[in-house]
Amino acid sequence: MTMQSECEGTDGQADPIPVADEWNAGDMGCGELVMALRVRMGNLRAGDVIRVTATDPAAPEDLPAWCRLCGHTLAATKHPVYWIRRKGL
Amino acid sequence: MPGKFCVSLTVAKENPDKATVAFVVANAAVASDQTTVVFLSTEGVRLAVRGYADDVAEEGFSPLKDLMANFAAAGGTIYVCSPCFKRRKLDERALVPGAVIVGGAKLVEFMADGCPSVSY
Repeated sequence: MTMQSECEGTDGQADPIPVADEWNAGDMGCGELVMALRVRMGNLRAGDVIRVTATDPAAPEDLPAWCRLCGHTLAATKHPVYWIRRKGL
Repeated sequence: MPGKFCVSLTVAKENPDKATVAFVVANAAVASDQTTVVFLSTEGVRLAVRGYADDVAEEGFSPLKDLMANFAAAGGTIYVCSPCFKRRKLDERALVPGAVIVGGAKLVEFMADGCPSVSY
């Protein structure tokens, strides 16, 4: 069960769209970041948005690429925060 | 965007940096919905033996055993070069999860219709 929220995230940044989940990945990067994100998104429903905070310097390149590969939508981004909408079934 | 991806790894504990990064990249591939194979050959086959990689932990990365376990749990496959494994007299009954001993034909079949790869 996920809950929709339009609250601010833990770092005080306002969400431009309702989010169902949020995750602070810290400085995790590369394969470890997307592997953990894949697991996390597996708990979401199609269309749910997760708010991810990822400070790794490669995240601005990696997370959009990962979304394109997997079919998810990068709904908004303001590094280090990324709003990713889970793809439909 | 389903596709295939191959990571070739020819080293083990003598170069833990390369071994670790190879599995980090493999995790990125499998987590990106790519059908992913890590091909272990020459010295790299030692990583396929359960317990061998347990003490490999490079600064800045997760321990290698965790990277390998996550890779297998996500559906990744580890191809282990058969002649490389046999000539080192390693134990084929003690393979890590996701590992399968193969000959060259199996790798060629996987890659023959086009497959990006990266080598370490």
